[in-house]
Amino acid sequence: MIEEPYRWVEAIANRREYIETQLAPGSPIAALSYRDGILFVTVGRARQKLFEIYDRIALGAIGHPGDIERLRMAAIELASTEGFTRSAADVSLRRLAFYSLSPLLKTAFEQVYGAPYLARMIFAEVGATPEDDLFLRVEYDGAIVANGPAADSNPPRFSAIAGTPGAAALMEDLLRRDHDPACTLNRAMKLALDAWSVGSMPATEEGESGIPSAETLRQRRVEELKSATVEAGVLERSGPGGIRYRALTGDELKELAAA
Amino acid sequence: MTPDSLGDGASDFPALLRRQGLIAPISSIGGMGPMGDLASSFTPAQATTILAFKFTGGVLVAGDRRATAGNTVVYDRADKVLEIDRHSIMAIAGVPATAWEMARVLEHSLQYFRRTQLQEMSVDGKVRALSKLLRDNFGFVMQGVGVVVPIFATYDFAGKGQARLYFYDAMGAQFEVTEYAATGSGSPAVRGVLFYENRWGKKPLHKLREEDAITVALRALDTAAEADTATGGVDRNAKIFPLIKIISREGIKTLPEKQIATRFKNTVA
Repeated sequence: MIEEPYRWVEAIANRREYIETQLAPGSPIAALSYRDGILFVTVGRARQKLFEIYDRIALGAIGHPGDIERLRMAAIELASTEGFTRSAADVSLRRLAFYSLSPLLKTAFEQVYGAPYLARMIFAEVGATPEDDLFLRVEYDGAIVANGPAADSNPPRFSAIAGTPGAAALMEDLLRRDHDPACTLNRAMKLALDAWSVGSMPATEEGESGIPSAETLRQRRVEELKSATVEAGVLERSGPGGIRYRALTGDELKELAAA
Repeated sequence: MTPDSLGDGASDFPALLRRQGLIAPISSIGGMGPMGDLASSFTPAQATTILAFKFTGGVLVAGDRRATAGNTVVYDRADKVLEIDRHSIMAIAGVPATAWEMARVLEHSLQYFRRTQLQEMSVDGKVRALSKLLRDNFGFVMQGVGVVVPIFATYDFAGKGQARLYFYDAMGAQFEVTEYAATGSGSPAVRGVLFYENRWGKKPLHKLREEDAITVALRALDTAAEADTATGGVDRNAKIFPLIKIISREGIKTLPEKQIATRFKNTVA
């Protein structure tokens, strides 16, 4: 073991730097409330990055696929056993993240001789109204940033993750400026794609000009989408049965993303 | 905390529940029951008489509402036709405590599989999953406390798409049927009615329209209730009607009680 506290702090700092470097190229993910639910959007090349966790909970993740898979499985397992023994209404994202995932991630991160989880996640839980929607960003070290009831008297109804903290901050700036939780799905999709474009700007452009013009964003996106595709899913506020997650696919996605 | 799901059988939800002690372990066959000698004097509640048949609109699944223990009526509004997912129904005859738990495990197993494996379980997989639950429960059946004899109906999207219908025995053998199925204490009478309708009725069952299919289902359950005290049939005084659900390509439709009541009044009563 490392016996001097200083060495431990140093080891943790090195590990943080290493993980941030690994996560940096990750494609951003935006999640935001709209009138009829919560929309998740990202752009990817190969693998799926948006997942259903339980009836009203969805996950978007960037990082190492193996680590994402382990965390996704753990989340589904915890939610499913809770939903089975009690009821779907007792499955709570807040508890799932704070009491189960966060300690797991923190322990793995701080045990410097073991492997940490290379993953940055964004969870959302849909409520009866946009006011009840909950967004949680969960970091590789177990840190959680919450947007939602009890976090703030009037919290933003959106959240975003990106490869770097700077890119995520830019996405949030844009969302804070333009987001209206009562908007339509169509409008939410446009905004989410704009947010993705802002978050995926090369690091060199960051901080130079803040948020570029709408036209610049659109051009960037057209360029990016030549070699990648939009992935999106919604948690719907109401519907038949308890399962509210639906991946957007086919013509519906094409129409929404084209505008 | 290490997620169990990384171990063997990552997609097997019942195994996960069992490891965490959330459902009963697989019962050994024979021997003394969990109640010991009390088992012989304990009469578990039973739910009875369910039927299903294919018609032009898909597959109709119906069940009476009565639950009994010995010759006592325990409950007259039991729900024996249970939705498992958007296109599957499990109807139950037997001990409700075991059957409802089994339906709950099955429902969660299918969702767990779909979420973890990122694909829908095949129809064969679903049919097999219920079969395994029945077999795991067989020890309790032998001890006289947990017999369940379900019907499973679902819509299979493979190929052109078609409704599929199965019934089971208490050991978990599944039998796919092309026309109709009935289980529970009133099933001999129901099978008689369905056989007769199918062979000598105006039209065979698979050519019936929805309204006529409802009539056949109501008449069959009413016939069963005539001789079998464990079948509720239609309670004319309290206005309790059987539960009827229909599975089609579009999903599951629960018939409103009003529609059943009207149909009953016009063609059965």
